[in-house]
Amino acid sequence: MTETAQETLSVNEVATLRHELRTPVNQIVGYCEMLLEDAQSPQDGRKRESLSEALAAVRDAISLIERALPADVATLDADRIVSLYESLHRPQSRIIDAMSGLLREEPPDEKFIADVCRVRNAAERLLPTDRPRAEPTTAFSAPAAVQVAPAGAPGARVRRTAHVLVVDDVEENRGVLQRRLEREGHTVVCASSGPEALHLVAAASFDIVLLDVMMPHMDGYETLDQLKASAATRDLPVIMISALDDIASIARCIERGAEDYLPKPFDPVLLRARISACLEKKDLREREKEYLRDVVRIVAAAVAVEHGGYTTGSLADVSERGDELGTLARVFDSMVAGIRQRERRLRGQIEKLREEIAGVSDVPLTDFDAPEALRPGDAFASRYRIERPIGSGGMGMVYLAEDKELGERVAIKTLKAELLSADETAMDRFRNEIRLARHISHRNIVRTHDFGNADGVFFVTMEFVEGTTLRAVLDSRGQLGPEATLAIARQLADALECAHGEGIIHRDIKPQNLLVDAAGTLKVMDFGVARLTERTSALTQAGMVVGTPTYMAPEQLLAESVDARSDLYSVGVVLYECLTGRPPFEAKSPISLIAKVLNEDAKPPDVLKPDVPHAVSAMIMQLLAKDATQRPQSASALREMLATIV
Amino acid sequence: MRKILLVEDNDMNRDMLSRRLVRRGYEVAVALDGQEGLDQARQTKPDLVLMDMSLPVKDGWVATAELKADPVTRPIPVIGLSAHAMAGDRDRAMESGCDDYDTKPIELDRLLGKIEALLGKTAE
Repeated sequence: MTETAQETLSVNEVATLRHELRTPVNQIVGYCEMLLEDAQSPQDGRKRESLSEALAAVRDAISLIERALPADVATLDADRIVSLYESLHRPQSRIIDAMSGLLREEPPDEKFIADVCRVRNAAERLLPTDRPRAEPTTAFSAPAAVQVAPAGAPGARVRRTAHVLVVDDVEENRGVLQRRLEREGHTVVCASSGPEALHLVAAASFDIVLLDVMMPHMDGYETLDQLKASAATRDLPVIMISALDDIASIARCIERGAEDYLPKPFDPVLLRARISACLEKKDLREREKEYLRDVVRIVAAAVAVEHGGYTTGSLADVSERGDELGTLARVFDSMVAGIRQRERRLRGQIEKLREEIAGVSDVPLTDFDAPEALRPGDAFASRYRIERPIGSGGMGMVYLAEDKELGERVAIKTLKAELLSADETAMDRFRNEIRLARHISHRNIVRTHDFGNADGVFFVTMEFVEGTTLRAVLDSRGQLGPEATLAIARQLADALECAHGEGIIHRDIKPQNLLVDAAGTLKVMDFGVARLTERTSALTQAGMVVGTPTYMAPEQLLAESVDARSDLYSVGVVLYECLTGRPPFEAKSPISLIAKVLNEDAKPPDVLKPDVPHAVSAMIMQLLAKDATQRPQSASALREMLATIV
Repeated sequence: MRKILLVEDNDMNRDMLSRRLVRRGYEVAVALDGQEGLDQARQTKPDLVLMDMSLPVKDGWVATAELKADPVTRPIPVIGLSAHAMAGDRDRAMESGCDDYDTKPIELDRLLGKIEALLGKTAE
């Protein structure tokens, strides 16, 4: 504990203080009464007088303690403790004076002197004798266990006491230091040699070492070297004490790692000041080390999150810090907990999606009439071997093929010749789009590999995904539940966020272009390919097989400016269909369908299906806004909306 | 000669009280902590135990409770001693099994009276 202002004492602290004060009092009473029993001969008059005086004084002290610290007190103002110390000074002085008089005047009797010294020592522990009485705001020593500063006094603080190891080969020197330090409230252990000191330091924890320089066998320098050489004791502050007060020996000690140096005979005031400064530096170092340890723990926690090994709450003790590091730990833990919660939610949604797609598969294509159709086993573009057709659409055929160069399976999409007009500008735009699409690498996007022309057949090669289209799922199941739909929505938002970030708009988001594998992972395909379908006006081309008006945004149908928000409209249609089993607008002809898309309002999904959560329904209606400015303005914004839907 | 086991961790308290009891004609054995006190009580069967309550290793409350839970040592009277002397300490000591309780600073005559009262009971 360091500088902590303390204004009241709890009941436990009062109990401890009573114990600390009544223990020396008990000793004074016991020894004095015992000595008085022995002092019964006529020549013992002076002894009896001094011992009676000490007994009277200690009984005064008992009265003062009982008045200031009553047995039934709950809490106590520090002011009263300060007053108590002030009032104890007088009886303490009387006891010490009485014992000092006996020591001066009585003939040497070893046992008697030892007991008198015990009484005096007990009195000294009752209260330090050298505290500055005239300066009540100055911190002073109280018994070791409880240190109290005057309440509200400027600079009031609890004084630091320490466990001190005194190392000196001269017994008298050790005794003097021990008494002095114990009077300051420190606890002291003594060693008479360097090896004994090293042994003690290895066995117990000390706050500071006072080390004599000149000792036989192993001097203070060597002892200091050994203390500083060990990682366990390197940070233990050492104050050298020696009669050698020349600059060279002081420098030698400091160079070897001593914290400070005191010449003998030492000045008690200087000793106190240097020990105090030393302990403050030690405390500061320990706080710094603790801070750095906590920094390391937060960094380790961040690494653990990266590897999936972080347990939320494991920084709880760091979070209790009152500083910025504590705030960082709290925020970090709370963020990880939030992410984990969202991950659990997403896993639950993916699981629902998996359940809903289980058993659904695309209808296998076995026959097709296109004259340019490729057959299983056909070689294609001198690099691929066709395995089987896996899809057909407005743009052409899709085949599963083996890339013989890389030994991988790929999907090859051949493109209808009539789509590739002679318009070189459109072709350049298409090539550019495919080039951009090749840069996209995302778990929710089917990777585009290449674009080429083999014997007049234009084709795009793509990553082959073992899965089924969302179209097949909807055709098979009719509709999906809200959880499975949200799993699709989240993965779609992630995919579009990535693609839009690369500057690519899909332009043809629809269930036919969304693949779902057995793990419930959704992958968007045909990025860039939709560029082929662009004409001056989709409305005028509505009768063509290309284009999908059902999923196209109003501005796309009107051939106005198309951007990321057009893809988000299409997402809205897909999600609408997932939840309700049908798109928001249906009509018998493309023209009437386009008219509805442009002019009518769709019924909210939760009107058609009451089990659809209102928040999900409202989000879809926002995606379907005819005015692009009323939709979520980006895939990131959609992802954030989804994160708020529980 | 009646034997008293004094369990006290403070050197000066132990020295002072044991000497005062010896002067009053008791044989005094000492132990420095609660566990040592328990071990000695089991081995030497003193006539009475003076148990300081604030002890290292095993405190006086626990040591007394264990002493009273053991059929071998249960009959040995125990006087609890405490310098805390807070309200409720006496009750707490008695609840742990102490037969009597006294506070520090010790008034020797009062303590001797309690010792004699308990030894007299056991003699009966």
